Amino acid sequence: MEPAIEVDGLVRSYSATHGMVRRRRSTVEAVRGVSFQVARGELFGLLGPNGAGKTTTIKILTTLLLPTAGTARVCGLDVVADTRAVRTRIGYVFGGDRGLYDRLSGLDNLRYFAELYAVDPRGLRARIDEVLDLVGLGGREGDRVEGYSRGMRQRLHVARGLLHRPEVLFLDEPSIGVDAVAARELRAVVAHLVEDGTTVLLTTHYMFEADQLCDRIAVIARGSIVAEGTPAQLKDQVADDRVVEVQVFGIGEAEVARVRAITGVTSVIVEDHEQAQALIVHCERSLDVSAEVVAALDGVRVGSIATREPTLEDAYISLVTAAEDG
Amino acid sequence: MTARAWLRLVIVGGRISYRALFNWTSPLMYIPTLLVSPLLGTLFFAYLGRYAGGRDDTFYVLGNGLLAVAGPCVFGGMMALANERRYQTLGAVLGTPAPRGAILVGRAVPYVGNGLFTAVVVTTLAALMLRVSIRIADVPGLLLAALAAAASCTAFGLALGAIGMRVRDVWVISNTVWVSLWLVSGANVARSALPDWLEVVGGLLPISHGIDAARAIAGGSPAAGLIAREVALGAAWAAIATLLFRTFERSGRRHAALDRG
Repeated sequence: MEPAIEVDGLVRSYSATHGMVRRRRSTVEAVRGVSFQVARGELFGLLGPNGAGKTTTIKILTTLLLPTAGTARVCGLDVVADTRAVRTRIGYVFGGDRGLYDRLSGLDNLRYFAELYAVDPRGLRARIDEVLDLVGLGGREGDRVEGYSRGMRQRLHVARGLLHRPEVLFLDEPSIGVDAVAARELRAVVAHLVEDGTTVLLTTHYMFEADQLCDRIAVIARGSIVAEGTPAQLKDQVADDRVVEVQVFGIGEAEVARVRAITGVTSVIVEDHEQAQALIVHCERSLDVSAEVVAALDGVRVGSIATREPTLEDAYISLVTAAEDG
Repeated sequence: MTARAWLRLVIVGGRISYRALFNWTSPLMYIPTLLVSPLLGTLFFAYLGRYAGGRDDTFYVLGNGLLAVAGPCVFGGMMALANERRYQTLGAVLGTPAPRGAILVGRAVPYVGNGLFTAVVVTTLAALMLRVSIRIADVPGLLLAALAAAASCTAFGLALGAIGMRVRDVWVISNTVWVSLWLVSGANVARSALPDWLEVVGGLLPISHGIDAARAIAGGSPAAGLIAREVALGAAWAAIATLLFRTFERSGRRHAALDRG
């Protein structure tokens, strides 16, 4: 069966001019030869840090941006040559709370987009009610969007993306800024859509979300895909690791360098958690470096210390760090 | 898209987009901005004309009555497109398969109606207050002239709005054009009294031929040619608006500018 999405050697560069008098032109390559395929009915995750090229890739696939080179096909249709036909088959949801008509009610926002997508007027109200119930906005559709919370706006975005029953749905960080309960409901909606046969391409910063939802994942860094596979396959890439996680307060570069120098340590990452930091140390599975790590942190206030199995997030960070260091 | 869906997008979609994008829909904004201001403007120029020994009141009532379409049509037409930038909805709209012609016609229709309504209310109230009599037989012709002026003015506003898809500060242009219409449209100064180049500018901007038509109708002269000229001018501005819209849509896809705020 023909894939729902085929991306081959996709390149997108942006040029910008600087300076008032002496104009200088610079070019940034946001996407550098990205290739992947998504099967029909699959939920495919595109993970990467900010500026990695996820949104640029999605914008090209949703026809909002032209590629500099390469090809992309959705439902067998070229996104550059068959723009209109592609648009009838796709829906997309971009993260954030803009992109809605604030002065209209949620219902009128949906009505307008239903007209733009030529949804059959005979079943329009029933379809609107259906998507409102699906995203949990039933009963609030008459309120003006300017009074909606960020989570409600995000749900309305999702409802809008589903109105015309798209074959392929693009979700660009749909749960960003959404509270935990709403994010869980959103994940349930996405899972339900995939069960019904919709192909979904999802970008997210939340690894547990990708781990829970995605059939396959591609990790993108600096505009290139650095790994692709099922969540289990990606986790296998760091399966030979053991992770020691230490809560520290006020760690400096010197201490991090000392930890990095311990025999068997493969990578060290420091994450800021408000007043504390999490020192995440990857080491060879056969070694227990906990005592040496604590010794290397001499002079630093240490909180909890734990040894655990690597997660998808560990695999992701390892892949992205390697790509960015390289 | 079927013809029925196309029509629905024009009528239903146009109505919804009007409520979404026109800033002055509330009575608190609508009445002072679109009705009271042009009415006071009409009275100001009529009394100035009386004081300075200018034209009779009919000249100012018909001129400013038609000029009243500029508020809802120039600014409204512009808001109909440029406000998509404000709400960052442009990408969402242009990412749909909807025919662009239906979107533009749908955006224009409510403002044309709004302009006609404004012209009728301002002209009627000004005529009553200044005791200017308008023959019943002239009303259909005057309505046609106002409709032509409203249509061409909306097309002009859409052209400005299309520029607003790309340029953030397009409001500066519309403010300047609006004020310049007081002068070059012939509403308050006969265009024949203007320098040649200003007369040419006035002839290229909307409303001026509509005002000439309204005065010709009131004076018992034939006005079909003048109305046709206003309609032709409106068609030219509509073509320019469509061209600009398509051009900026294409360049927005090339330069990633569709969702800029």
